[in-house]
Amino acid sequence: MTEKNASEALPLLSSMQFPGMLYASTIRSTVVRAKNFKITRPKLPAGYRCLIASDIMEEDIPLIFGDDFYLFAEKTVSYKGEALGLITGPDAAICDELAGSVAVEYEEEEPQLEWESFSSSQIGYKYAIDYGDIDLAFEKSQHIERAVYRNGIFDHHYSEPMGAIANWEYDKMAIYCASQWPSDVRRSVAAIMRVPETDIVVRPTDLGRSLDGRLWFPSIVACQAAIAAKVCKKPVKLLYTRKEDFLRTPKQARSAVTIKSATNEQGKLQALDIKIIINIGIYNPLARELVHQAAAAITGIYACPSIRLEAYAIKSNIIPLGAMGSIGATHAFFSIESHLNHLAKTLGKTPAEIKTLNMLAKGSSNFGSKPLDYEIPFAKIHKKLEKISDYRRKYASYELVKKRDPGCREGIVRGIALTVGYQTGQTFSNQPSMNAYSVETTLDRDLDLIINTQASIGSESLKAMWKTTASALLSIPPETIHFSPPDTDRTNPCGPLTLSRGASTVNKLIERTCKAIQKKRFRESLPIVAKVQTRSPKNPGLDKSPAQGNIFLDSASWCGTAVEVEIDTISGEPKPLAVWMVVDAGRIVSKEKALSSLRSSIIAALNLCTGADFNPEGIESEEYLRDRNLSLLDLPTIGIEFIESEKTSVARGLGELPFITVPAAFYSALTQALGVEPRQLPLQGSEILKLLETT
Amino acid sequence: MIIDLNVNGEPKHLQARSGDRLVDVLRDELSLSSLLPDCLSGKCGRCFIFMDGRLVLSCLVPAFKAKGSTIQSYEAFKDMPDVKEIILAMEKAEALPCAFCRTGKIMAILDLLGRSPLPEEKEILKQLDMVACSCTDPVSLVKAVGMAAEMRNKRKFNRADK
Repeated sequence: MTEKNASEALPLLSSMQFPGMLYASTIRSTVVRAKNFKITRPKLPAGYRCLIASDIMEEDIPLIFGDDFYLFAEKTVSYKGEALGLITGPDAAICDELAGSVAVEYEEEEPQLEWESFSSSQIGYKYAIDYGDIDLAFEKSQHIERAVYRNGIFDHHYSEPMGAIANWEYDKMAIYCASQWPSDVRRSVAAIMRVPETDIVVRPTDLGRSLDGRLWFPSIVACQAAIAAKVCKKPVKLLYTRKEDFLRTPKQARSAVTIKSATNEQGKLQALDIKIIINIGIYNPLARELVHQAAAAITGIYACPSIRLEAYAIKSNIIPLGAMGSIGATHAFFSIESHLNHLAKTLGKTPAEIKTLNMLAKGSSNFGSKPLDYEIPFAKIHKKLEKISDYRRKYASYELVKKRDPGCREGIVRGIALTVGYQTGQTFSNQPSMNAYSVETTLDRDLDLIINTQASIGSESLKAMWKTTASALLSIPPETIHFSPPDTDRTNPCGPLTLSRGASTVNKLIERTCKAIQKKRFRESLPIVAKVQTRSPKNPGLDKSPAQGNIFLDSASWCGTAVEVEIDTISGEPKPLAVWMVVDAGRIVSKEKALSSLRSSIIAALNLCTGADFNPEGIESEEYLRDRNLSLLDLPTIGIEFIESEKTSVARGLGELPFITVPAAFYSALTQALGVEPRQLPLQGSEILKLLETT
Repeated sequence: MIIDLNVNGEPKHLQARSGDRLVDVLRDELSLSSLLPDCLSGKCGRCFIFMDGRLVLSCLVPAFKAKGSTIQSYEAFKDMPDVKEIILAMEKAEALPCAFCRTGKIMAILDLLGRSPLPEEKEILKQLDMVACSCTDPVSLVKAVGMAAEMRNKRKFNRADK
């Protein structure tokens, strides 16, 4: 391996050591809510130290992170497992043991765990929008349906538990941690340490598969490690155990989406009254983003002349909850797709008929915005998906089997469903830091291409895709393309590398730098350097105008997913038999890589659907130790096709598409198989058995 | 207690407490960084070693049980053609595992190809199922194992590329 190659491999936090390094373990609250608490410092062996809020304040370090989240609880406890302090020392196992044995007396109070019916003090963010005369539409309609769809808490199962190392490097503090947003880690640690950002350097470690769960929480762990390093004046490693990581790190937020719809006799939507409630746990700095993404997604597929939408991010006394695989869109697509299936059932039509009838088409729009001047490829996708999955025949035959054999004597029931969805390439945030990406590319004297971007924290396959882009444009072999270490001293500040949003932006920037180098290649002497950065987009701001829904569709990737499932009526266990996906993600840089990435994401999404809902109160089994429920021998057949549409010149992200569409399709297929609508995800075998009994 | 054993071809005398797991002793005393104790319950497949020629999860082996045994970790194989072929096949098949499961998957494939020179798809999936990390697409992984088997057999039987 050359030196240039060697620098690309990011280290693993668990394998890193520094001379004189101490370990830290978190002292955690064992109650959900307390108005006061008192820690009795334990007797500690030599070399060990107990750090609590008062010690930290003595060092003139602020305890508060962001607007209202405490790095260490000072007086009150807000959720079970909240950090109350740290035990530091030379042996990690002893630190863990000591942290678990610290005696804490609590003055408990009633926790706020309810979130579906909430008080005004629990509202973290609210967004409301309406268009058209919705009351009149409901009055006129003959067909009104109302349903509530619930999405549970999903665990990300990170490749490596959450953690950080804070180390002193002469005049700087170096932070090592796996974060999707190293610039945020640097900003946060600098704020806590009250030093300029240039005094902090963040050296990202390997992210593994993070599914958007490492956007902002690593900044908190890094701040805690930095505080310990400052107080102890030594390098400190704070690495969660696997169990701690499962119980105490952010999960996908749960949601309850109520949809009331009015349709005409043909099934065309006349009015939609939607209420989205997303439980963000005790804290989520991206609550606004979650709410806006969900709001845009739920109104972005089907045309409707009157819409009233209220969306809330609601706080409660459990661990922070946030994004997974997509920022809020999963909840939205699961709900609207399930509701359309419900409408189809009540109107005596097939889901495909209802969806085709209502899809946004060229010339149509929601919220009175400018009519779409291009064709959203849903109809094309739908048609192709029906064909490759043999949807119509299978749907009809499963319905027939249900009628002929209502008692399920055969021991298995089957269902198939189609959904459509999209992922946008934009965020809704006002923060320039969230939307800024930069790439500096150098063609050096050895004709090696060095790409310098903070986004190189991404996966190997992502980097391989970027290499393919650069290699094709400059006609150089991929082996001569290298990424600089993504530390914050060498790279410009960068927005978060979410599942594939930042990835497609970075791909575009790499293209631009390579084209710039190509122009200068035989005119200027080597090395040639090209640098580009994104301009912070104007926030299209759903909250500025009610007519913005379609703006996000410009940079979107589209897809349709069909899932076929089988349920064993004895055990209730659902088994996905096949998944088909039709994707329009613009120009596909590498078909093989795209297929491989989509297949692994489809499997990950199916694992989420068949997993258990997270229980914040504790762990019932050790199943959380595995990151999947489906054995490789039980995997479904997966078929993926790409289509070309009007906007195929640009490469767009596709990594979120399975997480957006698979849960909705899986759920809808279960609904057909069961003959009832459970209206919740995930669904375990035992719950399915109960539903089967009711039918 | 002192445990005498052979690790990666060298005799070692390791200090261990009675309750220690083999994975921790190997990592702490010998700095074998390919071993990543994570679940500590035999589920994640990140701590594979060959113990007297058998593939075992070192988190499930009490350290004292390894007395007198011959241990081979990934470090013993990493420069061997068998492993280089597996890595090359993974790259060619676009089946690049993440850094957390890479050595676990390579050790599992090494074990499989040692027992079954031309494994079938089911055999491959069953073997890879021991490493619980869904970072890589299984279809590409199966393809990679097939390619690695092909390369290995060609080398073993001295067959040139057609």
